Amino acid sequence: MNIDFAPELEAFRAEVAEFFATAPTPAIREAGRKTTSVFAPFKECQEWHRILFEKGWVAPHWPEEYGGTGWSVEQRFIFAEEYRKADLPPLLPQSLGMVGPLLIDIGTQEQKERYLPGILNGDDFWAQGYSEPNSGSDLASLSCRAVPDGDDYIINGSKIWTTYAHHANRMFLLVRTSTEGKKQQGITFLLLDRVDYPGMEIRPIIGLDGCPEQCEVFFEDCRVPQSGRVGAENDGWSVAKHLLKHERGGGNAASPTLMRYCERARQAAAETLSPFGGTLADDPVFQRDMGELEADIASLAHFEKLAISGHEIANDPAFPSMNKTMNSELVQRASTMMAELSGVDGMARQLEALRVGSNVEPLGSEFDLISMPLYLNSRATTIYAGSNEVQRDLIARTVGS
Amino acid sequence: MDFRFTDEQEMLRDGVGKFLEKSYDFDTRQKLVRSDDPWSASAWEQFAEFGLLALPFSEERGGLGGSVTDCVAFAELFGKHLVVEPYASAILLAGAALAEADGDAAAAWLEKAMSGEAVVAFAYEEGRGTAARDLISMVATPSGDGFTLSGEKRLVHAGAEAAAIVVVARKGEGGPLGFFLVEAGTKGCDTRQYTTVDGRSAANIRFDGTPAEELVGAADAMDAILAKAVIVQCAEAVGAMGALVSITADYAMTRKQFGVPIATFQAVAHRLADMKIAYTKARATLIYTTALAESGQAGPRDLAILKGQTGKLGKAVGEAAIQTHGGVGMTDELSVSHYHKRLLACDAQFGDHSYHLRRVGQG
Repeated sequence: MNIDFAPELEAFRAEVAEFFATAPTPAIREAGRKTTSVFAPFKECQEWHRILFEKGWVAPHWPEEYGGTGWSVEQRFIFAEEYRKADLPPLLPQSLGMVGPLLIDIGTQEQKERYLPGILNGDDFWAQGYSEPNSGSDLASLSCRAVPDGDDYIINGSKIWTTYAHHANRMFLLVRTSTEGKKQQGITFLLLDRVDYPGMEIRPIIGLDGCPEQCEVFFEDCRVPQSGRVGAENDGWSVAKHLLKHERGGGNAASPTLMRYCERARQAAAETLSPFGGTLADDPVFQRDMGELEADIASLAHFEKLAISGHEIANDPAFPSMNKTMNSELVQRASTMMAELSGVDGMARQLEALRVGSNVEPLGSEFDLISMPLYLNSRATTIYAGSNEVQRDLIARTVGS
Repeated sequence: MDFRFTDEQEMLRDGVGKFLEKSYDFDTRQKLVRSDDPWSASAWEQFAEFGLLALPFSEERGGLGGSVTDCVAFAELFGKHLVVEPYASAILLAGAALAEADGDAAAAWLEKAMSGEAVVAFAYEEGRGTAARDLISMVATPSGDGFTLSGEKRLVHAGAEAAAIVVVARKGEGGPLGFFLVEAGTKGCDTRQYTTVDGRSAANIRFDGTPAEELVGAADAMDAILAKAVIVQCAEAVGAMGALVSITADYAMTRKQFGVPIATFQAVAHRLADMKIAYTKARATLIYTTALAESGQAGPRDLAILKGQTGKLGKAVGEAAIQTHGGVGMTDELSVSHYHKRLLACDAQFGDHSYHLRRVGQG
């Protein structure tokens, strides 16, 4: 066994860290610190996207011929680690992480030429139209209908939990094109090259944290071109399954972010008086809770490191589901600890102070400002991308000798 | 980075695994545990033939120069087969202390331990538990050329059968910890033998002015010796967890209730998923910490994480396995309860998960 990265990789790490220390603007840094969701503040996130694009580092996981970096798995992991350590806003996953890789894998030549450049340089932002009211993690039950008409489809129905659709200029979605046979077999995958088609309406939903992150999208006799179809008509299920590999796959180093949360929590505990004397950091119950959390995060980090090194653990068919389950539940546990540490100071609703560039002073510390929105927003982590109940069903099928 | 076992380690695993599959199936193991023998002399001989007894020691000491990873490679299989032979205490703990000590006596005992000719026990735990080493209170009082020991040691594996015992005690009242050697039959030893809940032979030993010889030079290596033994003990626990996960899944797929396999009930399926997640986490941490230790980078916090996670997750997996099996999981007949008890035993020694996880939280 060998625990160390090769020396040239450590040089690469230094190069990445140097860039992250110098390239982001103050607003981008502030957005990173104030990210209380998987989805960073939109405007600063897109600015950062552009900077990374210009550096050539925006899509490390893409093949080099399409604008990827040509980095090894280890380099990508180091990049992700340094990125998280620097507290920078994560790029939004729908464009670079989902629709981009899908088009690279199975889009037509025309689709690639039309869409990939805008995805890469950040001109376009894609919303993901999968979920529907009453559909949830059972995607096969979706019912938003698309009927062929000449060169077009006419869409009727609605989508929900469409993250940042109010910022999007493009959208990919799953629609029902047939009700014959198995539910999975009547679904089609569509790309919409605009979101302002007549008969299409986007309405933001205010979340628990008070922020508009999710949207509802309504289609009423909305006519869109059939040329946006990926794969064959009624074969959208296999297209979606293909995309899911990108959505749930590992290699994006969640543990450094979780460790940053723990550092912040430790610092807050050291500054908070315990009702039993001393500070909370000296309190045995806090120490035990913190130890359990940090040890579990360490195990996730070990799991991630084994996976990128090519250990057999990554070949387990349950790997993506285990990764998603561990990661999402740890985000919840870490944010729960943060909100509990803030206590009454986390109770103020401070949406204005939370905004990047705000002149409004937060009532407590920056820790107190973000802990409650993070806690509230992270209730979603075990719901989205296939609820953890669905993940556990998938994992359970792989258990046994 | 590379966290795989080497080809040699895979060969060793393969050889030990085949032997245990053939000669150490659960029924054979249960016959052994219920017999008057404390462990299987023939299995011990076989371990000697595989080179396991000499593996961790340097070539200058007559050993094979094996690494901690070598030991982890086969220790997972020891856990899978619930091996009752006193490998950790006789080889990794007592043997390692002898290997670090100066003098002919230590060398002679080490040679006997490596060949399998004698078993040397390791006396460490005390009544209040020894999670924090500061709690060790036994004192070795200087007397003539040597020392005399007074006090009681608990859970000394192979304590009644051993030809000699390595005892951890303070060198003088309030003094530093050291290793002391007591030969079997020395006066002033009151040994009370018992079988542990996980089927191993152990003893509580009361020393009352018992003459002992200091293992000079060994104390400096105490941290390293204990660290290695803890890692290997965690490997055993992880092996036991893996066995429990697959046994329980197989049972849930075949056991029917209300006309269908119980694995089809979501409550049961999700428990199986959680067991697999727990096992995977513990194994990832075991492998990673082993690699850290091999490169000399494993610190006290890394070891506390490993010991804490393995203890906590192991206990959870054992309890989930019993619940999934229902009534039969409560019986002595089924292997499930025995795996659980081995996991409890691994957790209890050298500080349980509560202790270690709080240490992690102290930062």
